[in-house]
Amino acid sequence: MLQVRFPLPLLAILLLAAPAATAQQSLTATLTADIGVLGKITVSALTLTFPDADPDAVPLVPAAGGPLTIVAKARSGLGSTVTLTVATPDDLRSGTDVIPASALSWTASGPGFASGTLASGVARTLGAWTGSGARTGTQTWFLANSWAYASGMYSLTLTYTLTVP
Amino acid sequence: MKSTIQTLLAVVALVALTAVTASAQATATQSLNVNASVNSRAKLTLGAAAINFADADPDVSPTLTAAALSVDVKARTSAGASVTVTVLADGNLVSGSDNIGIANLTWTAGGAGFVAGTMNATVAQSLAGLTGSGDYSGTQTYSLVNSWSYATGSYTATITYTLSVP
Repeated sequence: MLQVRFPLPLLAILLLAAPAATAQQSLTATLTADIGVLGKITVSALTLTFPDADPDAVPLVPAAGGPLTIVAKARSGLGSTVTLTVATPDDLRSGTDVIPASALSWTASGPGFASGTLASGVARTLGAWTGSGARTGTQTWFLANSWAYASGMYSLTLTYTLTVP
Repeated sequence: MKSTIQTLLAVVALVALTAVTASAQATATQSLNVNASVNSRAKLTLGAAAINFADADPDVSPTLTAAALSVDVKARTSAGASVTVTVLADGNLVSGSDNIGIANLTWTAGGAGFVAGTMNATVAQSLAGLTGSGDYSGTQTYSLVNSWSYATGSYTATITYTLSVP
């Protein structure tokens, strides 16, 4: 019986040089990506202006400049409810004169966007959606006009809040 | 093979480093300033463009009374500002060369802020004194003193109503 003997270093070299079919190996690696909850709200203007108008001719004064474009981007859990609200802590004020915040209302367009009426101290829903996504809609503001208002330049600040659970 | 594993591990590490840390809830806000202009305005509406007195026996009807005239006042002004409505005749009641003194024309008034008065062709007379913005409604009922001394005829005068809103 013929036996071929190789020194050990030479055997190792031969094994490494062997064809791929005989050197198969399987490994596993776990890939982890953390996608965090994220929200971003963009309103197309920083100022909303209502011009003076005759209450009889224009009972609802539309804001100058037309509709606002609202973009709400949310990354949330599957099936989570994403909400966009509008709030103001106060009424429209001009010195000591007041126009109630409820005189401001809006119409909305776009999937998930809803029309509404403002109220001081209460967040009003402008949009609601399910899950992640980027949503675009428009919001057109109106001021209920009245002869009862004292003349003046009224102002308030609105806060848009996008909540992503 | 070793190289492949190293590459894979590197990718895993990179993803882990760049991933956003999860939190329970995220909120994003944006502010929007709202400005509304409310200017002074005035609008006066009378219920009729003409007032007519029917002829009558002075003994039976010493005073002729016209139908009540509605007066609608809409004013937008600063808080506490005085809003006034005045009336002024262009002269006496005239029929050709005949005339009836305009002071024979008086009125009673209804509605908050509206007052009775006597017509004058020189000095505007107050019909209403109101305060601040609002939509005010009143009535004015004219009366004309009837007299045997009047010459027959169809007399006319023009009365100007003025609403002043500061």
